[in-house]
Amino acid sequence: MNNNAQPPVCCDTPGRSLSERIGRDLPRRYRAEKRFRRLGLTAIVVALSFLVFLFGSIIGSGYSAFRQTYVELAVTFDESAFTSENLAAADFPGLVKQSLRTMFPEVEGRAALKNLYRIVSPSAAYTLQDMVAENPKLIGTTQRIWVLADDDVDMLIKGQISGAGEEANRRLKDDQLAWITTLRDQGRIETRFNTTFFTAGDSREPEQAGIRGAVMGSFYSLLITLLLSFPIGVMAAIYLEEFAPDNILTNVIEVNINNLAAVPSIIFGLLGLAIFINFFGMPRSTPVVGGLVLTLMTLPVIIIASRAALKSVPPSIREAALGIGASKMQTVIHHVLPLALPGMLTGTIIGMARALGDTAPLLMIGMIAFIVDIPSGFTDPATALPVQIFLWADSPERAFTEKTSAAIMILLAFLIAMNATAVFLRKKFEIKW
Amino acid sequence: MKARSMFLASALTMTLISSGTAMAARDSIAIVGSSTVYPFATVVAEQFGKGSTFKTPTIESTGTGGGFKLFCGGVGVTHPDITNASRAIKDSEKETCAKNGVTDIIELKIGYDGIVLANAKTTEPMELSRREIFLALAKQVPDPATDGKLIANPYKTWNQINPALPATAIEVLGPPPTSGTRDAFTEMVMVAGAEEFEFIKAMSKSDKDAFKRVSETVREDGAYIEAGENDNLIVQKLQANPKALGIFGFSFLDQNADAIQGSLIEGEAPTFDNISAGRYAVSRPLFIYVKKAHIGVIPGIKEYITEFSSEKAWGDDGYLADKGMIPMPAEERKKYADDVANLKTM
Amino acid sequence: MDFPALLLVLMLLAVGAYVLGARKAMAAAAAGGGIRSLHSLPSHYGMLTAVAAVLPALCLAVVWQAAQPPVLTALLKASLPAETQALSAGEFSLIINDITNVVAGNFTPGADQTVIAEAAQRYMKLQDTSDLLRTGIVLLLAAVSTALVYARITARLRARNIVEGVLKALLIVCSAFAIFTTIGIVLSVLFEALRFFKIVPPHEFLFGLDWSPQMAIRADQTGSSGAFGAVPVFAGTMLIALIAMIVAIPIGLLSAIYLSEYAGERLRTVAKPLLEILAGIPTVVYGFFAALTVAPLIRDLGLSFNLPVSSESALAAGLVMGIMIIPFVSSLSEDVLHAVPQSLRDGSLALGATKFETVKNVVVPAALPGIVGGVLLAVSRAIGETMIVVMAAGLSANLTANPFQAVTTVTVQIVTLLVGDQEFDSPKTLAAFALGLVLFFFTLFLNFIALRVVQKYREQYE
Repeated sequence: MNNNAQPPVCCDTPGRSLSERIGRDLPRRYRAEKRFRRLGLTAIVVALSFLVFLFGSIIGSGYSAFRQTYVELAVTFDESAFTSENLAAADFPGLVKQSLRTMFPEVEGRAALKNLYRIVSPSAAYTLQDMVAENPKLIGTTQRIWVLADDDVDMLIKGQISGAGEEANRRLKDDQLAWITTLRDQGRIETRFNTTFFTAGDSREPEQAGIRGAVMGSFYSLLITLLLSFPIGVMAAIYLEEFAPDNILTNVIEVNINNLAAVPSIIFGLLGLAIFINFFGMPRSTPVVGGLVLTLMTLPVIIIASRAALKSVPPSIREAALGIGASKMQTVIHHVLPLALPGMLTGTIIGMARALGDTAPLLMIGMIAFIVDIPSGFTDPATALPVQIFLWADSPERAFTEKTSAAIMILLAFLIAMNATAVFLRKKFEIKW
Repeated sequence: MKARSMFLASALTMTLISSGTAMAARDSIAIVGSSTVYPFATVVAEQFGKGSTFKTPTIESTGTGGGFKLFCGGVGVTHPDITNASRAIKDSEKETCAKNGVTDIIELKIGYDGIVLANAKTTEPMELSRREIFLALAKQVPDPATDGKLIANPYKTWNQINPALPATAIEVLGPPPTSGTRDAFTEMVMVAGAEEFEFIKAMSKSDKDAFKRVSETVREDGAYIEAGENDNLIVQKLQANPKALGIFGFSFLDQNADAIQGSLIEGEAPTFDNISAGRYAVSRPLFIYVKKAHIGVIPGIKEYITEFSSEKAWGDDGYLADKGMIPMPAEERKKYADDVANLKTM
Repeated sequence: MDFPALLLVLMLLAVGAYVLGARKAMAAAAAGGGIRSLHSLPSHYGMLTAVAAVLPALCLAVVWQAAQPPVLTALLKASLPAETQALSAGEFSLIINDITNVVAGNFTPGADQTVIAEAAQRYMKLQDTSDLLRTGIVLLLAAVSTALVYARITARLRARNIVEGVLKALLIVCSAFAIFTTIGIVLSVLFEALRFFKIVPPHEFLFGLDWSPQMAIRADQTGSSGAFGAVPVFAGTMLIALIAMIVAIPIGLLSAIYLSEYAGERLRTVAKPLLEILAGIPTVVYGFFAALTVAPLIRDLGLSFNLPVSSESALAAGLVMGIMIIPFVSSLSEDVLHAVPQSLRDGSLALGATKFETVKNVVVPAALPGIVGGVLLAVSRAIGETMIVVMAAGLSANLTANPFQAVTTVTVQIVTLLVGDQEFDSPKTLAAFALGLVLFFFTLFLNFIALRVVQKYREQYE
């Protein structure tokens, strides 16, 4: 059809030609175009700036947790303290107190001495105990040992609490401040990289608290989740996408899976409580139950992603395989599955990342717990990273604030690593048809 | 080949599951219960774990009710050995326990938790009486115009209640009705405040139900904000909003004394000394309940409660006091320590 | 032989059986006129033999493993002194725990616990016997069934069909997990919910306008009874979800369109995963952000305009939740937009439409069903989100549409009711299960709509 031959049937003034009208409209349309483009860019910038802001605030309040304050003590391992055969029975807290007293011989009185002892962490005694257990030759010698400072001292050194204000309102009293200044001038207080944070389990003393237990708990839970949900999810997706007949049952399964992907995670916690703990009698607070609950939660995500990946394999591949005599199963396993696998892996990683960050289902199955010992198996009591964050966030001690942020940073690092792997896989194996 | 690897994977998972369901022998103490006792019980557990050859007990924060539900589930490895409680056990819970064969229970009072009303340091500290708190927070208050009549709470600012108080809006962040802290606060502040009105007090004799309704119902028009159980969050919200007051446990005030201050109630400040001497009115006892049948069977229970009841833990200078728990008077401590030594059941 | 070792042996057996089966099939083929006379590939015969070697034996081993402790315990019980046998089940389980603890070497029995020490010895012996017996029987079963199948291998055996049948059965079982999970969810909340409905009638729960679970914690507080009308709770949930969607839909959709239609490949590969990180940040973090940064900000803003703003306003929780669900909208929409064939765009552009007009009139309408599906998924995410609202939204159940007021949501109530200090069997706690049940059906309903929308308007482009 020739547009120019006929004047357009329109309401406009008839004398104008179409190109004129288009020309008149063009600036407006281009403006709209530009506006829209800017709007889209703004949306992305806004979303990303939220991300930057969140990261900034977390890192800002958490980076200081990676350093910890230490105090140097001169400890005399007096032979008289080690009379018993059992080295652990010796009075190690007494040794710590003794060395503090020698350092400040002028301190007298019960209250003042108690304040003095509070400068170092209660863990100092255990540090000494470990040293002696490792090397009994230390007995009878005097050693200069760096031990953890108390969390209040740590907060002061890091500038998170101030020594100003009324004495009654401060955690650190005037005499303690004076001692700390003395120690500082003598170079006997310093901050170092906080290895405890990465090697210890939970503790009620912020300076001794670490995330190793929570990381291991998350690791064991996620291992179970991965081992169960990936094969089951992929197989379910294969059946639904490639084999399932179009009947009511298939429809029911389909609605179910979509629904499960959207069911609030806390309800999965209720399910885990009822099925795994009450019905099967599995122990509470263990990675095995946590892993199973998270499996049920991630399964729908993996199934949906895997189906999408299977869907994106063009029918021509299947037709070609069937055409040269492969059975349906052979077609799927030999040709479709390898092509869809990268997509499935991506979906799995994203599902696992979600499982890693979820707290609510674990609330119900007893993983919100104080667990000091680092779990060494699937049935040891354990907590998980997000739960640790949740618990520390609710602790009264000020020093847990920075630990909370630091734990969040660790969790985010894991999440980003997982997401990056997914992106990498997607990029590497992405096939354009 | 694909089938093979799938097979391998499923076999591996089966191993995992079977190792999970295999007979679970428990060698560590399992503790559940109140989130208020949690910060104290965990300190004891940690000390106990480090100072002895036993494993560190695991402590779940389930809330008092959830704790009793688990604790009373029965005797045996799958049930917890100890539950922490921010209130005494109820008769109905004792019945559930008895029904499930949990008959010998050792009750151990461990100390007190002060409940404070606090606001940010940037403003003046409040000086309140229980009467004023009742007038500020109750759903129905006595009509100031006519005697003996109740009206819906009309007070919007503190100075409407008492001209000496600041002219700021009444805004109190506190725990929800499911919380034991709220329960204790209602009983010790609201009810006591209500009883200062003669005609309401008279109701407690004539119409008990009506008295409870008047004295215990907290207003729901936005002046009292139910802010959840996370006390730390309340503390931080107070710093963000200096006009608000918050209700929470003493240990949070103790740790944040540089940022928030406790309101004086009946002229007494919520300090450690005032609470332990009983001068500050609002504090409640904390308990732990131990299943006697498990003692000697699950390793370390006896030693754990002995650690809990030692002077270095719950004494006046003990590490629990350091964490903000208010110790019991010496004679009460002695009584309960004796109970522990003799494993005296309820 | 312990269980993992047994599994390992079974695996090795399977490999052996595979080789045997495949060899026999080759031999049969050679005898019957070359490889073409085989019904299936030699590997199929191998797999069939391997399945025969492992499947029955594995089932037996797992059942044995599960049944072993109770059976052993029963055997042990019979040999214990009479007074021990008379103990209740719970106390008896403690004795058994003691014994297993001794067996595991967790602690050594004291001098007065000779009974336990002896029992532990017996238990270990029983366990050894059981292990030996199991190893024998399982391996025997594997051998027998392998032999049976092996003997039946001929060139005409339809090995592939059988193997594929087994595999397909496995696939069906896997896909049925979704149904099991759903049934499990319904069952796990149904009974408690029914108990709740016995105390509070369902119509009062579903249509009541007053939510105030101020029921007494102690038995002597009979006075204040609670009100359990769930409407304010669900209304609060809707309000917060609505605010979240008002944030998430424009930002998410515009980002998706920009990324898919305008952005270069580089920006797309960088920005999309970055946005997805927003969905991966633990919700606890968002909770803190909402409660401590956003809420006071909104409050101060409101005060400067003389608006009464609650410090726990629905707006704060909704805004932050909106940020969290941006990626659900953007990622899913971007995928669908990306899937719209280029030919549609080319056609539109060729007619002289600008890019914006193409997007508005061609691409988005074509992708709409998928976008709606993504949005509905995001909505159910928002409804089910727990931690943000627990920290930021508060618990006051106000029936209001004012975003500056405090509201509460279903998930917050579930958490508070379940972890509170009240008695566990009180209506307060049971209400959590009723809320969970209703919430489950609510999301089911949403998903049903989403599925219908997608099915009805889906366009196939290949």
